[in-house]
Amino acid sequence: MAQDSTPSGALVYEARGLKKIFDGGSVAALRGVDFQVWEGEFVAIVGPSGCGKSTLLQLLGSLDRPSEGSLTYRGQSLADLRDPSAYRAAEIGFVFQAFHLLPTFTVAENVQIPMFEGPLSRGERVARARELLHEVGLEHRLDHFPSELSGGERQRVAIARSLANNPSVLLADEPTGNLDSENAAHIVELLLQLHRDRHTTLILVTHDLTIAALAARTLRMKDGRIVHSPPDPVAA
Amino acid sequence: MTFFTIVFRGLIRRPVRTGLTLLGISIGIAAVVALVGMAWGYEKSIGRQLDVIGIDMVVSNMSGGLLPKVFDESLQGRVAAFPHVAEVTPTLMLMLSVEEAPLIMVSGREWGSFTWKMLRVLDGRIPKDATERAVVLGRLAAEGLGKKVGDTVQIEAEELQVVGIVDGQAVVENGAIILALPLLQEVTGNEGKVNFLNIRLTKDTTKPEVARLRDQIKEIFPEGRALEASEVVGTSQGFRIARAMSWSTALLAIIVGVLGVMNTMLMTVFERTHEIGILLAVGWKRQRIIWMVLCESALLGLLGGITGVALGAAGLKILESTTTMRGLLEPDLSPKLLLTSIAIAVVVGVISGLYPGWRSSRLSPSRALQA
Repeated sequence: MAQDSTPSGALVYEARGLKKIFDGGSVAALRGVDFQVWEGEFVAIVGPSGCGKSTLLQLLGSLDRPSEGSLTYRGQSLADLRDPSAYRAAEIGFVFQAFHLLPTFTVAENVQIPMFEGPLSRGERVARARELLHEVGLEHRLDHFPSELSGGERQRVAIARSLANNPSVLLADEPTGNLDSENAAHIVELLLQLHRDRHTTLILVTHDLTIAALAARTLRMKDGRIVHSPPDPVAA
Repeated sequence: MTFFTIVFRGLIRRPVRTGLTLLGISIGIAAVVALVGMAWGYEKSIGRQLDVIGIDMVVSNMSGGLLPKVFDESLQGRVAAFPHVAEVTPTLMLMLSVEEAPLIMVSGREWGSFTWKMLRVLDGRIPKDATERAVVLGRLAAEGLGKKVGDTVQIEAEELQVVGIVDGQAVVENGAIILALPLLQEVTGNEGKVNFLNIRLTKDTTKPEVARLRDQIKEIFPEGRALEASEVVGTSQGFRIARAMSWSTALLAIIVGVLGVMNTMLMTVFERTHEIGILLAVGWKRQRIIWMVLCESALLGLLGGITGVALGAAGLKILESTTTMRGLLEPDLSPKLLLTSIAIAVVVGVISGLYPGWRSSRLSPSRALQA
């Protein structure tokens, strides 16, 4: 059942004619994408492999720059950001399919990594990591290394890490793609709970239509374009 | 966890490679410590020797290498006639192969001059006069040659009796064989030749008067130079060559060190492309990535520097105690040298990290994540 995400009316992302071309023009991952995302929304992006979902998410997180078109975050062009890392550190929490934890750091240390770009002292970082790991139910795994955890636990650590700097947007790229169905359900439930409790804008890329069905809005992509988009909740 | 925890973890993730790189830097820095320590130590020792003996000026022809060329000893009388010269004594100093020692300083001194008076007799006595076919040994030379009073020592083709062991209060003196000037001239075929005139000045001699005296000596001995004791080491061509050689070798070691650390850091950056992508994705600034790489390479340099200094110092101590070098070496292991060496190692680390750091900061986060 779709979540009752209640957009506040503030426009978070707006894309107009967004294109992303790779390899000198031979690969067009995005071929002109238009959409808007509002504050507090839960938007799912679905589509077959290679349709440009992950590329779109990377542009939203400013991990890459658009080739053409405009993409704004709260009215500011992401292509013109002087310091994309400051934007990522302050506004964005990423959750990846492959978890992307640092193997030589413990669970607690992994969660602290993004906090180095914030104002917290060493003690505050430790306390916050503990608090976030408690929130995802892993307070008993603080000193374990990622290799000692199950897939579901690793993804929960990645979720705790994504919340380290209290972001206003969570970008999740196939967060359940590497998990069995039971763990996948737990992770989805955790993301939804965080979205509700923190009023975080959640944009989730998935293959899984049952997960997408939980979102307030689902954007369907094919061949680098959005082929179906329900009515914009605020504009409507 | 602090930022330096992250830096440290970066180094220990590949312990064998880090260890080998550390070893490379250590050997380079050990070479710096050993070579420069020897050069500085020898210079200091010569300076101290002149000071102990009470020599104010030295006349020599320093163009000949480590030891100056010989000249006619008749120059002594002409220099003694100049104003403000209280005393002049000639010396013939040679580096000779003596029995088991490949090279040892042999010092022939004018009998009865002030250069004899500074020697403290530890055992035996000073030769009775200039005609006695005898030597005294500096205490380190005696130890190195394994000689005691009553033994003989062979210089060139001559067997000379050891009549005393002395302490000259400087390593050059303690490492030398000392005998009367005419005897050394005869034994080595240098009759009438010396290579130093040691001058004591009258107490009230002013700087302009010293300068005038130098000019006067230059007039009668154009190929030679009169140097104040403090200038002897700094202007000696031999010491300059030794200093240049030690620093050149050290520079070579440093360049090898830079390449080694740079290679390691580049490998690290290539291997950690994915990790750097994660750090960029979670919001780390590019400057922080560069700083991380630089800190890792600087830490590598620091650790290599510390172990290199320890290696170099230990190596020098071992070298100093060998039969070959005993008495010839008084290495300068001053804090200045040790700290300079460590600082060089850290600078090597930082320089080596600049390019890898820059490379890492140029990575595209999205591509790095796919690596």
